[in-house]
Amino acid sequence: MTAAAPEPKANMGKPVPRYDAAAKVTGRATYGSDMPLDNPAYAFLVTSAIAKGRINSFDLDDAKRVRGVIDIVTHENAPNLNESKLFSNGGYAGTTIQPLKSTDIAHDGQIIAVVIAESYEAAREAANRVKVSYTAATPSASFDSPGTTEAAAKGQNAQFKEDPKVGDFAKAFDEAEVKVDASYETPTQHHNPMELFSTSCAWMGDTLVIYEPSQYVHGLKNGVAEQLGIDADKVRVVNPYVGGGFGSRGSTTPRTAVIAGIARRLNRPIKLVPTRDQGFTIATYRAETRHEVKLGASRDGKLVALRHEGAEVSSRADPYCVGGTKTTTRLYACPNVDSLVSIVRADRNTPGFMRSPPEVPYLFALESAMDELAVKLNMDPIELRRINDTTNEPIGGKPYTSRSLMACFDEAAKAFGWAQRSAAPKSMSDGDWLIGYGCAATCYPTQMAPSAARVRLQRDGRTRVEIAGHEIGTGAYTILAQTAAERLGVPLEKVAVFIGDSDLPPGPVAGGSNSTASTCSAVMMVCDQVRQRLFKALMPNESLTDKAKETVGMGQTPSTQAAKGDRPIDLEKAFDALGVGVVEEYGEWKPEGAPQDSFKAMHSGHPRLVGGAAMKDKIAYAFGAEFVEVRINRFTHEIRAPRLVGAFAAGRIMNPRTARSQLMGGLIWGMSSALLEATEIDARTARYVNDNFADYLIPVNADVPGVEVILLSEQDDHINPAGAKGLGELANVGTNAAICNAIYHATGQRIRKLPVRLENIEV
Amino acid sequence: MSDHPSSQSSGYDRRSFMAGAAGSALVPLTARATVHEARAAVAQDPALPVDVTLRVNGQEKRLSLDARTTVLDALREHLKLTGSKKGCDHGQCGACTVLIGDRRVVSCLTLALAAEGQEITTIEGLATDDRLHPMQQAFIDNDAFQCGYCTPGQIMSAIACVKEGHAGTDADIREYMSGNICRCAAYPNIVAAVKQAAPEIMKG
Repeated sequence: MTAAAPEPKANMGKPVPRYDAAAKVTGRATYGSDMPLDNPAYAFLVTSAIAKGRINSFDLDDAKRVRGVIDIVTHENAPNLNESKLFSNGGYAGTTIQPLKSTDIAHDGQIIAVVIAESYEAAREAANRVKVSYTAATPSASFDSPGTTEAAAKGQNAQFKEDPKVGDFAKAFDEAEVKVDASYETPTQHHNPMELFSTSCAWMGDTLVIYEPSQYVHGLKNGVAEQLGIDADKVRVVNPYVGGGFGSRGSTTPRTAVIAGIARRLNRPIKLVPTRDQGFTIATYRAETRHEVKLGASRDGKLVALRHEGAEVSSRADPYCVGGTKTTTRLYACPNVDSLVSIVRADRNTPGFMRSPPEVPYLFALESAMDELAVKLNMDPIELRRINDTTNEPIGGKPYTSRSLMACFDEAAKAFGWAQRSAAPKSMSDGDWLIGYGCAATCYPTQMAPSAARVRLQRDGRTRVEIAGHEIGTGAYTILAQTAAERLGVPLEKVAVFIGDSDLPPGPVAGGSNSTASTCSAVMMVCDQVRQRLFKALMPNESLTDKAKETVGMGQTPSTQAAKGDRPIDLEKAFDALGVGVVEEYGEWKPEGAPQDSFKAMHSGHPRLVGGAAMKDKIAYAFGAEFVEVRINRFTHEIRAPRLVGAFAAGRIMNPRTARSQLMGGLIWGMSSALLEATEIDARTARYVNDNFADYLIPVNADVPGVEVILLSEQDDHINPAGAKGLGELANVGTNAAICNAIYHATGQRIRKLPVRLENIEV
Repeated sequence: MSDHPSSQSSGYDRRSFMAGAAGSALVPLTARATVHEARAAVAQDPALPVDVTLRVNGQEKRLSLDARTTVLDALREHLKLTGSKKGCDHGQCGACTVLIGDRRVVSCLTLALAAEGQEITTIEGLATDDRLHPMQQAFIDNDAFQCGYCTPGQIMSAIACVKEGHAGTDADIREYMSGNICRCAAYPNIVAAVKQAAPEIMKG
């Protein structure tokens, strides 16, 4: 067994290799722009060179002279499209800024023209020959720019419902024996999935097929249909493989309906493969944030007061925010809590979800402040977390469904060698290298969403699972196949999985780390329907549910099946009794507490996520603890992170192999966020300046010498039938603070602004 | 609103660039005569098709291409070999890595014309009769990918990394595999895969 396939512990599935492994290593896996098209025309985007103002005129003569140019689409001749509503306002879109509608420019890199040509090369050349005359206005780039406006998130963003508070913060903080009052900042970041933001659109009569990397095929289908003004059933989105998402492909972007509209007019398939730099402005991003955290504690380390104020940048058009105070106000026991989130509007495109949207910036602030408090208390930072660990969140007193935070700290500390740390800053070194050890808590809400599934079982055991889920690298194919195989008692290699197609039963958005819990719960339920039909055929006089449990293992978690002496169903007999060759069942599953309109919403491409802190009588999170060793060269100030160790507990682990890989990638994402990644904005022009892989720093193999992932066994019977907590966004949360805490330990310098680069070190 | 018009136009002149490139040593000596004949016409208009014969995975492929077509776009758009991926089109990410001869090359920065007469190996050319190349198997065994988009480039790069003699230590592998970005960050698993496959590849 390789390190990639950890031995399963209790309540973990088998670490089988990925279902799609062979396709991915042979080049057979087909991503959006790999899909064959019949005689496509090629599109190339022209994007705005100013962030605010208007277009005076285009000079297209030179561009039109390029051999092979078919059409150049601007606001003057663009297809007429309906407005799109923001996803958080009941719509599908990641932005309501719709390009090609008028001469107005709302942000840098806005689509202002689309060149259509016979070849990619001709389209690209012509796009570069499009001349634009602008009237530029002075844009507001970000925080501190003149002309921005700021207002509380509550009341303007429908998804931000409350600023959590409890007790009397002001009094408690005033009277606290030990205090921390500190400000933190996080930068703009871009997802930069490896697959570009491509779109291919092909019409067959009045039916549209879209090949596009999407984390929500049902959302994209319905959103594009709405913009085109056609029946949603006339649109099909196909993407069996997605080359990374990280949140960037959960809501619709303006490009898709534009390309679909042009393809309809041209009566020819169109293929758009935007450039890497265009991806920085035609999709969403993680906005920069600012935080003020106030912690008050007694001398023995008990928190008595906690206040978290966050500010986030959004566009003029849309009140997007992530509002991570819902998590940071509930993580530790504290009787007096206050919080406020506000939104700063600037001349930018609308930001959106990026891997752990609320937790990355907000836990960076809180977990840095906790470390500062530990220093002031002269206390081990792990012990400070232990003293303030809680079984109930402090705002509403609701119990955590399960919480293995301290078990994670203890396991990770042991593996890391935390006991060897000498507590004083600057007390550890190796030649020219200052050594620092740091740690932080990590967590992510456990979320679920309604999902449908169809399962077909043949008498020879061959099984087909259909669900419009998404393979964005998480292992969706693999765990759905495992779930069906376990539930039906058929060999894994007999299960075929079909996902990534909006013609399949609707699955949820691959966002908020809800997919595993939701889709596996749906597949389990539908497999049980199949089993019930077979069972009924075998034993027509038995009562179904209870008997079924005893006899064929229905309703039992797979890990307990063997213990209860479960035996597989005799398929041949059951099919003979039924008198058919195939049993097929369709079902719709929704989580406990899902709203009344859940299934209607599911079919129209609106996710209805429930879970985390928003449940009525409980709160559900996955937890982990992350430890980092940093080494800082005392002369050059070069910063390295040779060791990242994380321990995580997330309910049932469906497949330790895919889980470990995701958590490992998450730890590296976290390191990257702390030390490398930032989109730089020119404050004068509100334009991104490092919009490519050479200047937007992403880790390469040499940046990542040692990563260790520890999976803890955890069982949680209060979340969903699969017993799973999403973990795709769990590991990249705590790392930011852990690294800054380690840098403090190495240097004695507290850095409160990300990313930390060598020029920020002052030893 | 202040009133200072600005304008945007092409960054550089592709015609003059191509005229230079087509006439330079980038075109190998083995290039077929048609390339030379086309040169004058291409200098006038690079969109005029040029006949090119590429050797891909052991097969000769005759194509009529815009002279500016890269190896990557020739593979993907003209030969329907979509295993090689476009991640940046700038030679910054490695997703398009193929072998030209024994060398790993970013196919997005290599013109198809310049590759004429040379043996191009892509991800589709590695497995034989349903038997995976040892590096492909090692990537599966070590879960050396997640979304899979960078994987073809990683595997082509990894094979070259071994053959170059740069797979001796973990540090070497990390260094010489650093031209291929994996945003899912499967890096430690990629190192393990290269280590696993290296002995078998060196053996034969």
